[in-house]
Amino acid sequence: MKICQVEGTLVATARIAGLQNRRLLVVKERGSSGKQVAVDPVGCKPGDWVIAVGSSAARDAAGGKDYPSDLTIVGIIDYWDEASGRAGGNANADTARRA
Amino acid sequence: MRIQRVVRDLVTTKRNFWLASKPLRVVEDASGELEVALDPIGAKTGDYVVTIGLSAARAAAGNPNITTDLTIGGIIDQWDEQRWRS
Repeated sequence: MKICQVEGTLVATARIAGLQNRRLLVVKERGSSGKQVAVDPVGCKPGDWVIAVGSSAARDAAGGKDYPSDLTIVGIIDYWDEASGRAGGNANADTARRA
Repeated sequence: MRIQRVVRDLVTTKRNFWLASKPLRVVEDASGELEVALDPIGAKTGDYVVTIGLSAARAAAGNPNITTDLTIGGIIDQWDEQRWRS
């Protein structure tokens, strides 16, 4: 799975029937400059850090074996610190929360 | 899926049986690299399109037997060169 940041929505009115009316988002993969387009069955906002699956898992994640997607968002990361590349707070904060 | 621009049509009279009679387009990505994509919707030269790769390209072609690894999935309504290159 890839870690990506959502840049914005993509409107494509003329589309193949197989894509149905699913939302498409422009995403940027972490550590790469190129933009990609992902199907969004979850409902993300611009700026969200998300996890996305590729290859045939993308088809299943988007709704079925015959759905034509090669990149599908499967979850929104609650907290992502891009500077340190770590999800969640630090260990001390976790223990403090549990106590 | 990737954002690419249609450069021109591509005519191949002698072709693999499983390409059927589907139209082909030459598409370029932001870095100018050229590829060939199958076009089930009829994109015009200069259109920005969303292209579907991997095995999903075959599902997108409308028939899973069609031998393609890049298919145009939609024409983008509003897109500009600056946003594409950045």
